[in-house]
Order: sequence, then C-alpha cells, then structure tokens
Amino acid sequence: MLVLGIDTSCDDTSASVLKDGRVILSNIVSSQSEIHSKYGGIVPELASRRHIEMIWPVVSEALEQAETALDEIEGIAVCYGPGLIGSLLVGCCFAKAIAYAKGIPLIGVNHLEGHLLSVLLNSPAPDFPFLSLIVSGGHTSLVRVDGVGRYKELGRTRDDAAGEAYDKVAKLLGLDYPGGPVIDRLAKEGNPEAVNFPRPYLHGSYDFSFSGLKTAVRNHIQSVKDRLEEERENIAASFQRAVIDVLVKKTEIAVKKEKIKRVALSGGVAANSELRERMKEMGESLGIEVYLPPLQLCTDNAAMIALTGYLHLMRKETSDLDLTAKAVLPIGT
Amino acid sequence: MCIEIETRSEEETKRVGEALGQVLQPPDLVCIYGDLGAGKTVFIKGIARALDVDEREITSASFVIIAEHEGKYPFYHIDLYRLSDETDVSQLGLEDYLDGCAVAAVEWPEFLKDWTCSFEVTIQITENDKRKITIVGDQQRIEEIKRWLMEI
Repeated sequence: MLVLGIDTSCDDTSASVLKDGRVILSNIVSSQSEIHSKYGGIVPELASRRHIEMIWPVVSEALEQAETALDEIEGIAVCYGPGLIGSLLVGCCFAKAIAYAKGIPLIGVNHLEGHLLSVLLNSPAPDFPFLSLIVSGGHTSLVRVDGVGRYKELGRTRDDAAGEAYDKVAKLLGLDYPGGPVIDRLAKEGNPEAVNFPRPYLHGSYDFSFSGLKTAVRNHIQSVKDRLEEERENIAASFQRAVIDVLVKKTEIAVKKEKIKRVALSGGVAANSELRERMKEMGESLGIEVYLPPLQLCTDNAAMIALTGYLHLMRKETSDLDLTAKAVLPIGT
Repeated sequence: MCIEIETRSEEETKRVGEALGQVLQPPDLVCIYGDLGAGKTVFIKGIARALDVDEREITSASFVIIAEHEGKYPFYHIDLYRLSDETDVSQLGLEDYLDGCAVAAVEWPEFLKDWTCSFEVTIQITENDKRKITIVGDQQRIEEIKRWLMEI
C-alpha cells in the first residue's frame, strides 16, 4: 500500500511516498533556508507563498522518485497542525483537493504525532513503550508513547522552545539563522564552563523553560559587550551546555520514574552533536536503548506524516474533507 | 495617561499583566514593547490569567506567530518577532483576526505601523530581575488598573 505524505507546517514544503508503512520510496524536502537566512527568521508571508509555488513540484518529484502516480496512491496524509496557519492551509487545501478529485482517503496528521512515530522508520525500530523527546524550533516536549494513538505528554516548554532559544541567542550573538548549527559549531571551540548559566530544572515537573536562560545570556552579553568578539565561543559553549544538561537530566528522571527502557529523539535540535553524544552516554550509563534516527527523519519531513497517516488508515481512522488547519494543536488530538 | 510600575520578579510582572487584563474587553488591542528577554510573554501570561485562559497555554508565539486561546473572550497572542517589514504584516491576514470580537496582545508590534492600540505597554530591563513597566491608555481605565494593582 502506498501512502503520500505532505507537510507544510513551517519553512519546508515536503512530500513523501511510503510503502506499507515501512519503506520510504521518496522523501523530498524543499529547504528554504536560503530564503529565510536573509531575514533572520522564517518570514510567514514568504513561507506560504513559497509553499504555493513549491507544493506541486515537490509532490511530483516525490511521486516520480517513487516511480508511481497519483492513481496508485491509497491514502493521502497531510499535516494540519501545529504550525504557521498560512503555511498549513496550503498543504491542507492541496491534500483535500486531491483526495476529493481522486477519491482517495484523507488522513489529517498532527505534526507532533509524526515526530513521535518517526523513530518507527528507523532501523532497528523501538518496541512500545518508549519515551520521546521532541526538540525543535517550535516544540520541546517529553512524551511517553505506549502505542499508536496512546500518548502521554509528561512535560513541555512553558515559554520558549529549545530550538527557539538557540535562534534567539544566535541573534544576540550576531550569528546567522538558523542558530542551532552555528552555535553547535562555535561551541566546539569554546569552554562550556566559562559562564555558569542557570539550568532551569523546575523540580518536581517535567516541564521545560528556556526563556530565563535566554535572558541570562542577554544580560551576560551586555556585561561583556566590549569584548564580545573573543567571548563568543565561550558563551555559545556555556549556553549549549546549559540547554543540554536540562534536556538530558529531565529525560533521565523520566526514564527512571516511568521505568522505560527505550528513548527516542526527534526534532531539528536532535541534529545537535553534543545532545546526541550526551544521550548516548546516558543510555550506556542507565543500560537503556537510545534511538537517534538519521537527521532526515529528525527534522521536519513528510515521511513521518505518511507513516502516521498509514498507521491511522490501518485503524480505519480517516478525516473528512472539512479538515482545517490548526496553529495550536496539542499532542494526541 | 500613563502609569509606571517597577517589578522585581516574573510573578510581579505577571500581576501587572493581570491587572491590565482585568480591564480588557473586545476589541482591545494591546501592544507590548521590549527587548528579547524583557518579559513580554510573562506579561501576557498575566493578561491571560485575567481573561480566564489557562496561563500554561501561553508559551512563546514566535514560532506560530498567531496563537488563539479561548477564555472570557477569544484571546489572540500575536508575536511578530520573525517579521522583517511592513509588507509582510499585510499578508498575515491580521484584520481577519482582529475583527472586533477578540482581545489581542501583540509582541514586537513595531511592524504594525498603521494599527491603533488601546494600550501601549513598554517593559524595560533595569537590573537583572528588575523591570520598569509603563502602560499608556485612556485615563478612566488606567485608574481602574491602579485599583486592580492594589487588589491583586
């Protein structure tokens, strides 16, 4: 069975053809970073306009690379939230039009559920239950996954997402967008213990908070602004250490309390080299399995949307044509 | 008319937001100015509290730009941080959101050049945890905010 997945929730237009919920025949992502880097962030007007321009070429490319055609597709899975409303609408309208015209079942997919289940495309894939840490520009959530449709959000960010903190700190340091890769690179040349930034552990809760850390970095930058040039690497390294200490510690506490033997990482920040390394070390010291899927499955992609759509289709859970885009959409809805 | 308040913690900043939130009703638009890390989102958590929106729902809206919440009235938390210039705003369809039925709070409103807001809030960092909050609005409601500040 072939399922076409479409994701337009943020800066990338992506489409994927997935066979039998397992084999990725194509996974096309139109990276728009070249456009966005000029503006120091995602420009929503540009994003939705670009999505309109890109969606047909990206879907055609996905079908072509999979050596198939729309007539052979048995399910259309589309991400309907959370994300930028204008961008989401492009994907939703496109998917609904095809579903209607071709009489193909439509499955609306929550972007976060896509992230949670994306690790099932990894080889090897984890058994249930597992803990999933989603860390990206828009999300930071720790979720217990007991099966398809069985999710318990243990904690999430109360203010800024981890990736957002990276982007904003990068901007404070006068660095490029996106901030994650740049800070990760600079951090390798700095001393992570140079500045003792606060670790917002929020004891007794699995929630995250990175806004205060961002403010602390801002205050520190103000205090060393005359020699910021030479301090940049140290600030980047110390900031990164603080973020990762919190992410790893919270995951570790959840592993112990929930008595779970498997942890999966997803979202754009899962590309961070120090986070991957530290998660691996945590797995070894606790004797649990840590799944770090390849980067193209961690970042926004349509293969995870196709997979989630496939799993729901198997359970006969489809969407009506009145499916609408939702900017805010909690996990499990 | 204007009111100036010094706060010494996030919770105090939230309380000032709550006092303002108590006097808001559709179609009020609140513009909130302040640097990265000033506490704009914290202030909005306070507004949300007064509008019967769960403050836990309020997180940074930089990613989604427009976050919709349902409380006493529909409440829109708008964050234009990632915008570049005025031309982008006209494409966001904000007019459709601000159709008179909702209360809206806007972070980084510098990009909303042609909009008139009911209250202008400026948050300045004076020391590490200290903030100076200035609220500009009509006299009658500023007086009401002062009364709420004594109660909250």
